[in-house]
Amino acid sequence: MAISERAILKSELRWALVVAGIVAVILGAILFAALTMHINPPSNREFADPKTLHTSDEFTEANLGTRVEADGKVVARMIATQFNFVPDCIVVPAGREVTLRFTTPDVIHGILVAGTNVNTMIVPGYVAQVHTRFTRTGDLLMPCHEYCGLGHSQMVATVRVVPPAQFRPGPDGRMACGQRRPA
Amino acid sequence: MIEPSYPETPHDYADEGEELARLEAAMDVAPRGAAVVSLIAVGLLMVGWLGMYFLVFLPRGTVG
Repeated sequence: MAISERAILKSELRWALVVAGIVAVILGAILFAALTMHINPPSNREFADPKTLHTSDEFTEANLGTRVEADGKVVARMIATQFNFVPDCIVVPAGREVTLRFTTPDVIHGILVAGTNVNTMIVPGYVAQVHTRFTRTGDLLMPCHEYCGLGHSQMVATVRVVPPAQFRPGPDGRMACGQRRPA
Repeated sequence: MIEPSYPETPHDYADEGEELARLEAAMDVAPRGAAVVSLIAVGLLMVGWLGMYFLVFLPRGTVG
């Protein structure tokens, strides 16, 4: 036969090199994004008791929504419940780092913000946290993407990204959707 | 009806030596064709992956 063992081995080695090259390119692209653009899978290990969320320090109703913290960081807090988000709209500034924090008192939910890489699960007992920077202004849809019950398809919130000049929180550092403040 | 220009069965060859020689010649070319088809398939897959990565994933911005 024309194909010798040696020729088969040579062909397999060539393919192994091609596969190694592809793996190197993919790993390089992932490292490039992680190191230069800070694109990483959201990772946070923080607990929140689902039974006492309403009396907790952080996720009480009055503390939900967007707030500029004392250190200048913009943090938006939201609770996902069957079958809505509280609040169902948050305002965030474009071009500035924003921290989104979620938790839930009932079942597993999940969110994504359309047109961005924001995507995380929201698991009872844990706080899901995502750091991001929105670049485009406008209303972005944020649906629940983990089936959570019969009303799952109705569970959607809005992330309102406004230009930095229009992001004018009050003296308490808070800003909500529909809120208008004079320039 | 058009007659085929090649023997229909191996027994139509003049002798077994000729048959083996033609088979060897065909087998010599077949792996090159398979390699070209595989390279095109893998190349298209990589172009698709890199396209999604650089044109869709990266422009969607920072997250972590």
